[in-house]
Amino acid sequence: MTARLTPLALSILAVTAWAVSLGVLAARPEPFLVALPSLLVLATLARRVPIPRCSIVHRISSDRLFEGGTTTVTVTVSARSPVALVELVGPLPPGAHLRSGRHRAVMTLRAGDAVEWRYDLRFPRRGVHDLGTIAVRVRDRLGLRTWEHRHVDPMAVRVYPRIVPLRSLPRPFHTQPSVGDYVSSELGEGIEPGDIRQFAPGDRIKHVNWRASLRLGQLYVTQRQRERNADVVLMLDTLAEVGVPPETTLDQGVRAAASLATAYLARKDRVGLITYGGVMSWVRPGSGATQYERLVDGLLRADVVFTYVAKDLLRVPPRVLSPQALVVAITPLLDRRFAKAVLDLAARGFDLVVLVVSPVEVTRAALAGSPTDDLACRLWALERRSELAELRRRGLPVLEWRPPEPLEAALVGGRRRRVRLASAG
Amino acid sequence: MIRLLAAASVAALFALLRLTTPSAVVLWVGLLGLALAAVAIAARWRWAATAAAVVFLVGYALALQLESRPVELGAALSFGLALVLLLGAVDLAARARGATVHGPVLGTTLARWIALGAGSFLAATLGMELAAALAGTLPARASPLLAAAGALGSVLILAALFRRAG
Repeated sequence: MTARLTPLALSILAVTAWAVSLGVLAARPEPFLVALPSLLVLATLARRVPIPRCSIVHRISSDRLFEGGTTTVTVTVSARSPVALVELVGPLPPGAHLRSGRHRAVMTLRAGDAVEWRYDLRFPRRGVHDLGTIAVRVRDRLGLRTWEHRHVDPMAVRVYPRIVPLRSLPRPFHTQPSVGDYVSSELGEGIEPGDIRQFAPGDRIKHVNWRASLRLGQLYVTQRQRERNADVVLMLDTLAEVGVPPETTLDQGVRAAASLATAYLARKDRVGLITYGGVMSWVRPGSGATQYERLVDGLLRADVVFTYVAKDLLRVPPRVLSPQALVVAITPLLDRRFAKAVLDLAARGFDLVVLVVSPVEVTRAALAGSPTDDLACRLWALERRSELAELRRRGLPVLEWRPPEPLEAALVGGRRRRVRLASAG
Repeated sequence: MIRLLAAASVAALFALLRLTTPSAVVLWVGLLGLALAAVAIAARWRWAATAAAVVFLVGYALALQLESRPVELGAALSFGLALVLLLGAVDLAARARGATVHGPVLGTTLARWIALGAGSFLAATLGMELAAALAGTLPARASPLLAAAGALGSVLILAALFRRAG
């Protein structure tokens, strides 16, 4: 605990010094009498006073939220000895807004008193926010000395990106051996009828197609197509972003990635994640609720880290970026290094879809809307249209998403024309 | 409410200044102090409150020089108490800025100030009695030197206290 003199003590000292000096100069006793209350106050510094003791407990109403969610911070202060004045500054992480109440409090407590104080925080942007530290400053009776310390009780709130339900997802070319929602051309156990053939010893009675058997006078069985899952790798561009938080192109990209991950996991697919930027990180493909947590963890930490270095995707292990996986690259295409990486993947034969988060609309939303801004945005949009046309010309399936239009609209608009999986099974 | 307390102390300081002398010079000094105090209360700036206190003090010393009245214990003590209250209230207002206030913060401040007033009055009465008793025994020529030595001694004691506490 750090003890120090307050600015009030210095102010009183200054006024006392002036009063004493004026008394000597004016040769009058009144300035000395004026200085007397100040001198009496300052004389209390001679006493060694015990440090006022108070204990602090704080808690939060929820440690997991979606963007735009609110949590209540409740702080309870209990005094073990009389506390003349205690100042508390509760946690208010960058990016969080006070929704109600105040994150600072000043209180006077008698011994044994307990005061509860609360305030609501709103988190408009994803991330992991620390809410574990409260700054405490206790004052002595006359406000001349303070003791400062930090009350630390590690707790954090995880703010997840907003998710939109998606129905039209890019379909993968290749499937994996595990059971999933994609109808394979291979026959076996499944729900979808595929073909019929003559009954053979070992076939189960429940597979007999009675209608065909009666018509043809022999027993026939219905064969079914297998249902398989796929590997999907979401590749998020964290090289550059534009816009104002919480609506930057990266924020929109993270929301798109979270929505796609949720939709693919619901189809029993294995989903992985690569964040491609100044710092490259990845999550191995997997399925289930635990995998969702792993993916969101990666997305929460996704941030733009500036670098001159172009990262090589060959560094990513094949277990993460398997040649059989569908790669969904989510990018605003602001940095040419990402376009180069995507073209490199396509050249290596990866099944690839590029979801482009349009930076023009995001930037336009952040601008005042003058005619010059509008003209610049239109020119930029034209330039980008030609860039996207060039990527399409090279054979890349490019879907352009212009927030705030729904992501579903972008996915439906660019749906890939594949009736069946090319290499199912 | 805290700022109202500071405003009341400023009003008391200005009134005491006007009661001491009707001089125009002191009035202008008082108005300067008033302006600085208004800034301090509005913006909750401690430096402005200290500056206002010093200006009021200079004005008071000037008024005493101009009027050459007999010593008024009550007025001088009230002036000193009002200065302490002004500094304390602005400091408290600065600390409570943007904060929720729990408990009897203002009440305890006022209670301490009243206790300080009573203590000051007692100490001043005793001091005046002691000074009156000593005045007859001390040579008149030595009194300015004694006053200066007393002032220097006070400053040294305060410096020692600050060094120990800080």
